[in-house]
Amino acid sequence: MQDVKPVQVPRPNPIAWLNAGLHTLGLSLPFLACVLILAILPIFVHEEYLLRLFVQSLYFGTLAMIFDFTGGFINFVNFGFAGFVGLGAYIAAMLSLYTTLNPWLGLIGAMLVTGLVGFLTGLLTVRLRGIYVSLMSWFVGMTLEALATAMIKVTRGARGIIVPPMYASITVVSHLYILLGAMLILYVILHLIIRSKVGLAFRAIGQNYEVARASGVNPVKYKLINFSLSCACAGLIGGYYAHFIGIVTPELLDMSHTMEVMALSFIGGSGSLLGGVFAAFLFIPVFNSLESLMNYRLVIYGLSLILIMIFYPAGLGGFYQWLKAFLNSSKGKKPS
Amino acid sequence: MSISTIQNLLVTGLLRGGLYALMAIGLALVFGVMNICHFAHGEYYAIGAYAAYFAFAVWGLNPILAILIAALISFLAGAITEKALFYPLRKLSKGPWVMNAFLLTAGLSTVLQSGFQLGFGMQYLGITQYWNATVKVFGMNIAADRVVAFGIALVSIAGMWLFLHRTRTGRAIRAVSQDERGAQLVGIDLDWIQTLTFSVGSMLAGIGGASLLSLNPAYPFSGSAPLISSWFVVTIAGLGNVEGAIVGGLLVGMFESVSYFLLGQGWQTVASLVLLILLLLFKPSGLFGTGIKSVWE
Repeated sequence: MQDVKPVQVPRPNPIAWLNAGLHTLGLSLPFLACVLILAILPIFVHEEYLLRLFVQSLYFGTLAMIFDFTGGFINFVNFGFAGFVGLGAYIAAMLSLYTTLNPWLGLIGAMLVTGLVGFLTGLLTVRLRGIYVSLMSWFVGMTLEALATAMIKVTRGARGIIVPPMYASITVVSHLYILLGAMLILYVILHLIIRSKVGLAFRAIGQNYEVARASGVNPVKYKLINFSLSCACAGLIGGYYAHFIGIVTPELLDMSHTMEVMALSFIGGSGSLLGGVFAAFLFIPVFNSLESLMNYRLVIYGLSLILIMIFYPAGLGGFYQWLKAFLNSSKGKKPS
Repeated sequence: MSISTIQNLLVTGLLRGGLYALMAIGLALVFGVMNICHFAHGEYYAIGAYAAYFAFAVWGLNPILAILIAALISFLAGAITEKALFYPLRKLSKGPWVMNAFLLTAGLSTVLQSGFQLGFGMQYLGITQYWNATVKVFGMNIAADRVVAFGIALVSIAGMWLFLHRTRTGRAIRAVSQDERGAQLVGIDLDWIQTLTFSVGSMLAGIGGASLLSLNPAYPFSGSAPLISSWFVVTIAGLGNVEGAIVGGLLVGMFESVSYFLLGQGWQTVASLVLLILLLLFKPSGLFGTGIKSVWE
């Protein structure tokens, strides 16, 4: 249809070069634009309520991204996810309550402990396959919740622990920037892992366990790496959130919390990492701004999970890919 | 522990276990026939409890009638769910069925729980008793309700056994659970069998919820504890093993009443879950697992 043009050696184009560089990091200009908008937003928006909403969206979005790191790639849905988030929150809370450790170091501690528990959970599932792995993680998550409720002397049971803020003068805006930074860094790290040989192994295991094993991928090793990593990240974010909301209760470890993260991650599209973040920014502000919707929150999450599972498993990520391909093809370019 | 305490524990464990067995059979059926790890099974228990509450306490019907109505309503709820959700999922979804169905039930569980919350509020809708009487068992006075509930569980289990083994439809259900394609080849209508299985499974949970109404009032989240217990039973028995679920139910009932007595409320849950994890770790196919490798891996 189009004229064949003579091949030209392209001049080094700074924008193309930048794009290529960003691409290796998994970033793109539209995404960075979104980040930039969020970053300059606090200059114009001073309402604490709105800013808290964005922090919450970032929190859920980051968790959905971490969830997707296991769920979307090695195809193992961690049903005890909230248990690990809550474990991180409890560790961070207890470290800042019972020790004089710097809260930032406390976060590292929370990350390490949660990663370790994630590693041990991974070990428990070594002999298990498919749905049993999800069941096991569900049971582990529930055990963590039951422990948080039962260990009244340490965790104060259902009354929860009051957590001091990271530092006295912290504002919502700083929370927003810290979480935004954390989200970006985590995303780039997770993306680089996914693009590496390790990530290839993850996807191989996720797509076909037997074939992956037959072609020399050690499923146990990669399952453990993936699971410990995602639990450690969940613990880190959970620990930070504990300082943000100021109280941790066993409710944080509840299945309904896993449901929210899981729904966001699947709405975002399994295997897309960023999809969950966008889904969080679509859903959470809407729920919170309409008081009446807040009560229906879990119904909407559940329904959208059901509908996504039945009708459009690709989710937002899949929709974005389709849109990109559509735009490219209408411009006459080959979809990349 | 004195003899009478032990006796007491054993009897309460037995009575509890009968209903766990009932619920677990529903779970095992749904699992064995449809390959669905049913995460929303507890919500049908709650549907049964709500239906029985309205039939008995609000409309003032006879207890047995109330339980029958609850069974019917949960049966219908199961049928509607299957036709509205799992049927389209089966036809449309190309992904891994077991995982997708599991996620779908997780979504369903949330929807139903929040639905109860919006429809009936957060209050406990309970009754003090169906029958104002006590029965003497081994010299202990036990509320008639518990004994009747146990009786209902036994009758339903026996009925299920007869249905599965003696009727054409029951045999068809078992055929589908053994080999789906083979069953289809000999002319069994898969869609019908799957809808029926899901409805019957939900009905068993509903009967459990209805007959235990005086002990566990209807509440949006009243299904969670029975769900965990019935998963416990099914894990012990081996996923999809209907006969094993009966023995497993009684075992779990005993274990829970003993650990409740020794450890108290909070730690009892921890103990059950730890035991469950250990079981899954060492005997993934369950104590009575048949060792048949099935589709649900």
